Amino acid sequence: MEAHIRADTRAQHPGEAPRARRQVAAVFLALVAMTGVELAVARAPAGRAAVMAGLVGLAVAKAALVSLFFMHLRHETPVLRWTVFGPLLAPALYGLVLAADAAWRAAP
Amino acid sequence: MKGATAGAPGEHAVRWPPDAQYGSATPGKVGMWVFLVSDAFSFAGLLTAYGILRSGAAAWRHPGEPALDLTFTAGLTILLMASSVTNVLAWLAAHAGRRREAAAMLALTALGGVLFLLGQVQEWWGIWGPGLLREGLAFGQSARASSFYAITGYHGLHVLVGVFYIVAILLQYLRGRAGAHQVELLGLYWCFVDFVWVFVFSFVYLFP
Repeated sequence: MEAHIRADTRAQHPGEAPRARRQVAAVFLALVAMTGVELAVARAPAGRAAVMAGLVGLAVAKAALVSLFFMHLRHETPVLRWTVFGPLLAPALYGLVLAADAAWRAAP
Repeated sequence: MKGATAGAPGEHAVRWPPDAQYGSATPGKVGMWVFLVSDAFSFAGLLTAYGILRSGAAAWRHPGEPALDLTFTAGLTILLMASSVTNVLAWLAAHAGRRREAAAMLALTALGGVLFLLGQVQEWWGIWGPGLLREGLAFGQSARASSFYAITGYHGLHVLVGVFYIVAILLQYLRGRAGAHQVELLGLYWCFVDFVWVFVFSFVYLFP
């Protein structure tokens, strides 16, 4: 049981705050870079399905960075993380079903 | 092992014992997460409807409808992410007891939200240049137009509420009636606005 009890100790010790700031800056730069990649992917002369798959992948990666680092989910217990991410799998799964259905209907 | 702090401002906060499932998360934090997940479903509903409308449309962009300015909106996206950064820095400063820095970062976060909203006003109505409404993208004329205004408007409403929330917490923080815990809860809401925008930007603006 003790293993599941984690306190958020971020920035509670000397030297933690500068490290946390560097981490926030690194995540921000990664998000900016990924936004640039998104623009490039959206304008790429590739197939529509490939572009959409690339954009969904980038969006999920960006959202994961925001939730894990900016919203501190990385420091929370697995139970709280699943309380948040678990229900969000439902609309993601529904989106996949819809995309498969659209692809099936579009097929000759 | 430390317990969680909650309730009133910093020094007079209530201490909660650590929980087996939720660790140091306070009831306020768990409550905020439950609210955010339910709010995420409202956006998921809108984006799902958008996907259904779009996949069923013979032609999505009608003749005469303007294209969306991707570069401008990418700039707004980076602005919103920068405001999330200042928000996290506000929490770090509040947590370390650097009250002046925390207040300054909260003010910067609110400024970022206001600038984002101004960007949306520019996009819809035009501050410089015509704006989408005058360029021919009117609400109700097509599924593309209606879903665009419904989704970006709903998100903009969240940003507006967030700006009021930040200002309210900032004022309480300056009066000593709010502490790091309140700043953290506010940060969860504000970063959620950023989290949702990631998907709105991809689906509504970038999808070919």
